[in-house]
Amino acid sequence: MSNLAVLPILLPLLAGIFAAFIHKKTTVVRTVSKMLAVINLLVVGFVFIKVKEQGSIVLEVGGWDAPFGIVLVGDLLSMTLVLTTNIIAVASVFFAPQSLSEKEESYYFYSFFFLLITGVSGAFLTGDLFNLFVFFEVLLMASYGLIVLGNGKVQLRESIKYVLINLFSSMLFVTTIAFLYSVVGTVNMAQIAVRVQEVEQQGILTTIAILLFFVFATKAAVFPLYYWLPRPYISPNPVVSALFGALLTKVGIYSILRTFTLMFNQQVELTHTLFIYLAALTMIFGVIGALSTHNIKLIVAYNIIPAVGFMLMGIGIFTEVSISGTIYYLVHDMIIKGVLFLLAGAIAYVAGTSDLRKMGGLIHHYPVLGWLMFLASLVLAGIPPFSGFIGKLQLIRGGVGEEQVMIIIVALISSLLILFSMIRIFIRGFWGEKTDIPFPERKRRGNLMALPAAALLTLSVLLGVGAEWFFPTIESISQYLMDPEIYIDSVLKE
Amino acid sequence: MEFIMAILAGILFTTGVYNLLQKQLLRIIIGTGLISHGAHLFILTMGELKRGAPPVLSEGIEQYTDPLPQALILTSIVISFGVTSLLLVLAYRASKINGTDNMEQLRGNDYE
Amino acid sequence: MLVAVLLPFIIAIFIPFLSRWKDKLHTGFFVTIVPVIIFIYFVRFLGTGFEPIVQEYSWIPSLDINMVFHLDGLSLLFVLLISGIGSLVAFYSVFYLHKSEQLGHFYVYFLIFMGSMLGVVLSDNVFALYSFWEFTSLSSFLLIGFWNYKKESRYGALKSMLITVFGGLSLLGALIFMSVLTNTTSIQGMIDQQQLILNNEYFPLILTLLLLGAFTKSAQFPFHIWLPDAMEAPTPVSAYLHSATMVKAGIYLVARYSPMLSANEWFFIIVSTAGIVTLCWGSYMAVRQTDLKGILAFSTISQLGMIMAMLGFGTKVAIFGAVFHILNHATFKGSLFMIAGIVDHEAGTRDIRKLGGLMTFMPITATLAVLASFSMAGVPLPFLNGFYSKELFFDASLHLEAASTGFTGFFMTIVPYLAVFGSIFTFVYSMYFFFGTFRGKAHLEELPKKPHEAPIGMLVSPIILVAGVILIGLFPNVVNEPFIAHAAESVKGMALEEKHLKFWHGIVPPFIMSLAVLVFGTILALSRKVWTPVYRFVPGVLSANKVYDGLVDRVESYSETITKGYMNGSLGRYVRLILAAIIVTTFAFMAITGGFKIDTSNLSQITAPEILVAVTMVIAAIGTALTNNRIAAILILGVVGYGLSMLFVIYRAPDLALTQLIVETVTVALFLLVFYHLPKLRKKDEPVSTKVLNLIISIGFGSLMTMVAISSHSSKLFDSIADYFVKNSYKLGGGDNIVNVILVDFRGLDTLFEIVVLGIAAMAIFGLIRLRKTKGDE
Repeated sequence: MSNLAVLPILLPLLAGIFAAFIHKKTTVVRTVSKMLAVINLLVVGFVFIKVKEQGSIVLEVGGWDAPFGIVLVGDLLSMTLVLTTNIIAVASVFFAPQSLSEKEESYYFYSFFFLLITGVSGAFLTGDLFNLFVFFEVLLMASYGLIVLGNGKVQLRESIKYVLINLFSSMLFVTTIAFLYSVVGTVNMAQIAVRVQEVEQQGILTTIAILLFFVFATKAAVFPLYYWLPRPYISPNPVVSALFGALLTKVGIYSILRTFTLMFNQQVELTHTLFIYLAALTMIFGVIGALSTHNIKLIVAYNIIPAVGFMLMGIGIFTEVSISGTIYYLVHDMIIKGVLFLLAGAIAYVAGTSDLRKMGGLIHHYPVLGWLMFLASLVLAGIPPFSGFIGKLQLIRGGVGEEQVMIIIVALISSLLILFSMIRIFIRGFWGEKTDIPFPERKRRGNLMALPAAALLTLSVLLGVGAEWFFPTIESISQYLMDPEIYIDSVLKE
Repeated sequence: MEFIMAILAGILFTTGVYNLLQKQLLRIIIGTGLISHGAHLFILTMGELKRGAPPVLSEGIEQYTDPLPQALILTSIVISFGVTSLLLVLAYRASKINGTDNMEQLRGNDYE
Repeated sequence: MLVAVLLPFIIAIFIPFLSRWKDKLHTGFFVTIVPVIIFIYFVRFLGTGFEPIVQEYSWIPSLDINMVFHLDGLSLLFVLLISGIGSLVAFYSVFYLHKSEQLGHFYVYFLIFMGSMLGVVLSDNVFALYSFWEFTSLSSFLLIGFWNYKKESRYGALKSMLITVFGGLSLLGALIFMSVLTNTTSIQGMIDQQQLILNNEYFPLILTLLLLGAFTKSAQFPFHIWLPDAMEAPTPVSAYLHSATMVKAGIYLVARYSPMLSANEWFFIIVSTAGIVTLCWGSYMAVRQTDLKGILAFSTISQLGMIMAMLGFGTKVAIFGAVFHILNHATFKGSLFMIAGIVDHEAGTRDIRKLGGLMTFMPITATLAVLASFSMAGVPLPFLNGFYSKELFFDASLHLEAASTGFTGFFMTIVPYLAVFGSIFTFVYSMYFFFGTFRGKAHLEELPKKPHEAPIGMLVSPIILVAGVILIGLFPNVVNEPFIAHAAESVKGMALEEKHLKFWHGIVPPFIMSLAVLVFGTILALSRKVWTPVYRFVPGVLSANKVYDGLVDRVESYSETITKGYMNGSLGRYVRLILAAIIVTTFAFMAITGGFKIDTSNLSQITAPEILVAVTMVIAAIGTALTNNRIAAILILGVVGYGLSMLFVIYRAPDLALTQLIVETVTVALFLLVFYHLPKLRKKDEPVSTKVLNLIISIGFGSLMTMVAISSHSSKLFDSIADYFVKNSYKLGGGDNIVNVILVDFRGLDTLFEIVVLGIAAMAIFGLIRLRKTKGDE
């Protein structure tokens, strides 16, 4: 039973290796990858249901007792995120053949893809800080492989920046783990939590916690550490952008969420107040970025940042209500960012440009793309009753409960500006006089690209309209996170 | 001794960061190399230095050096090696294709 | 009631299919049926014995968001307006919109709007209300942008969306505040616990947010600017959304919350001031317009201001007048919009300077126009409903119930004058609308089309509305008792004594005010030409439009400036900023929490070999930064690496030493291989300031890490888990080399994935070297 926890890591790992062996046969690897991604999703769905019904699954890898060996903790939070990850994965794998060239596909796209999923799932599941570092490296290395795929001029240029910043933050990460090990003598997250609690998070521990926060914040793109993000995210192929936008920053946010609910929860008025201010700045500068450009892909990429601000806001406010908002937002944002990057990619493809100033009147030729984009913009901006709204509602409710007026006002204004930045794509790109269709030969492929995005978007709408099906689960995760003893007991079995 | 090692590692970080802030790719990558050396030295130092024999079990020895940091460093060395190799090849390709190895010329403002 | 609200949405789904047959049968016919059914359903509730009805359907109970419909007098008034005017407009649009238009789109938006608007006025759950509220903004956005090939349409659509969604979000803020304070999501529940809200320290904020929502939606000064630009929408839309229903959502909201809020003095001041200012400004601006729909748009703004002001006054007469005027305004303004549409349709222009003398060509339309516009002007005739509500307004303005000191007192004295002032201009533009269009000399040569009477189908709806104007004018008490009184009661929050409307009250102050309006209005209208230069001149630079345009343009250009300022693609810049943030914050936290500690009791001995190695490494590390020879730089880096492996030997880590040695050798070889192909190192030619900055940042970061390291070492608070590995390495792991046992056994997962990392790196490198883009393959 507890072995189930390894499946979400093991299956994509095997799939990745398998795909590497057959990488030259493009059609075969394509079909097989689609199948494997779907199978993986089904398995993960099964594990999720098990966890939901029977509680966390804790796997002591190799049979070594925690805290000495490595543990994988499949709790409801991890499994929810792993499940969402795999949903994105399936949509991406169906989008990929439309947007990649055969050559790119044959140079290990599918291997990198599955290994990225491996790394992300591993990061969500592991209960060991150093092992988290290792999974970070897996997903980063896979992302390096993906970002350089195609070897375009711009792409390589941006990749270097991406690799360097991440390399630096990895080194900082591993050093910080060492500091923490020196103080508490362990790298097991549950045991760290126990020990930090025992000494009431002394000064040095808070300092280390802040360093750790910065490591994760660099990955999550929190102000003022997100500079590296927008351009490298849009330089590779759209499907890669979608994977990055949907998954990578969220791993950072997840890590902050886990670290600061489980381990460093003793100096809330210090650390979490910092988060609130950073969240506000992240939202402001993020939307300013999104408004600064006419490049649709860049608009979408910049919109990752305010979303991170929203999620951080919930962690900063630190009540059951606000944390439930963060988790809802996390799931929502993974899906909608996937949708938006896929759509932006499809639009840029059919228009032959991603510059809004060179577009117009696309709705006459691509009504489906246009309406999907319109709907996706609403979902992103948190218009009710779509999924963005539920998260935002809980975040603001939490904020009101704690009388954090500043962040509430910033959040509301950001929502408006997010909508403004997105609706420009619809108004300037789709509305307008009917012109001749640009690149008529791209019509079929362009519409095929819309399919996976439409499927994800449907889910996103359901997540809002049918919130009743999801929210109780999210709420129970939030209660669970605010009571770290449950996690600690399940791992250390004391 | 631990303090001296901490200072040494700090100096490695300092020079590493200084190199990282330069324009030329080669210097930048050398900078990352220095930083990872510094990081590994920090890990080692954090495990208490010279408190016993090398962590290989042998008769009659009770006190061993903390083996866990060593294991962590080993993992980290291998990973850094992988990343550095990739970075080197990437740097090579990027500067070939863009015709410069000066990061200031690799800013790229052609998106807006 | 759920069915009634959802019906438009459900039908909207089928519209795209129905619109396929639009060549045979205009889609509008199907659509007209929907509001008619809803109207018939709700009209049954009318009557003197009406009691509020509540129906609940659960939606997201775990978040306390449910479909709770609360039908009281106020809701009923709005529901009947929405469905009644909706039926007439839908029918009118059949003749207005040609079959070649994208009818499917039009009617989908139309129905979505109708459903949402019904939802707004029926929902008792604040979040359901907010959802519907935003949907009215969105459908309005889509309808204004219906002819989106026109630049003005796109501009107007964006403007209305930004302003109304801004208001919507601020409303959301207020609603969440109130719902958290009272722990309920029901409006009635909030009103029942009003003390919790009124006495809260955040009440001013809540009030501001709530009113922002209402004022933006109901186009109150200075947020009115979106409404004139919304006239780019097809005329049926203007008649429906932008005069009769959607713009009254803000009024509805204020009315809905007024049982609670009217207890507060600020509510009185803000709402009355906004209303009066809007009334005057709107009616004055309307006089300046030359576009028929422009006149009507500003007229709507001013009438909304009047209703808002009456809600602000909060007296019984005022509330009654407000509710009555909501109905009256819908009748005469709706018909005027339709008339403007007919003129546009049949004469080809809405420019009043080109129009004139149309009475002979379109007598029926002209008759309707004269009745509707005279009613709007408040001309004292016993068969025009506008006069009654106008007189209630004057009456209310004379009998304010509030403190008579300070600003409030001053305000109370000027209100009647302002009321008359605004009404004079109302009179002027009403006359201008009618006489400018239908009387005077016709300039047929300037008209794009030869004008003629509209088809009968197009006239049906305005005729019904004008009939309403007259019937209400003749028998005001027929609608009063079963209908308006209930609505007024739910606004006031208590039963009102019977208000019997009469035409003639004798020579009382309100009547004198009406006469003054009539006299001055006539003078101004007759001498219009004299005043034209003044009308041109006065608003000038002070226009809120300019502020909006400036804001919107600047938001983009400033964003660009700000973002380009720091996101310039320079890696050095990014790293500097990131590091500066980390250094400053972490040091600050260290200082605040007292995180720095030095404890020298737990240190190992200092010996010469280590010092020697360390010094060598320091020199080498600094050397990398100084040398300008690439081979030298790489080799010096090698020296640092080998130094590190020496340290590993000294510190009893044989495995590490060995690995480090091998890895370092391979890395140096790789470095040399790759950089053989790259340009030589150049002298660093950056300015001294940059050098100093770089130096400060790197030293700052290095010392930060050192300090944290020393503190961490000095505060070893717990025993390490390492003993377990030493004890069990042989017993359980079966190996003597503890590090190896940890790697392959205790922490085997790390090692597995470390190998995976190497594997991915190998594939990526392979791809980097082998995959070349063919030209043009982007």
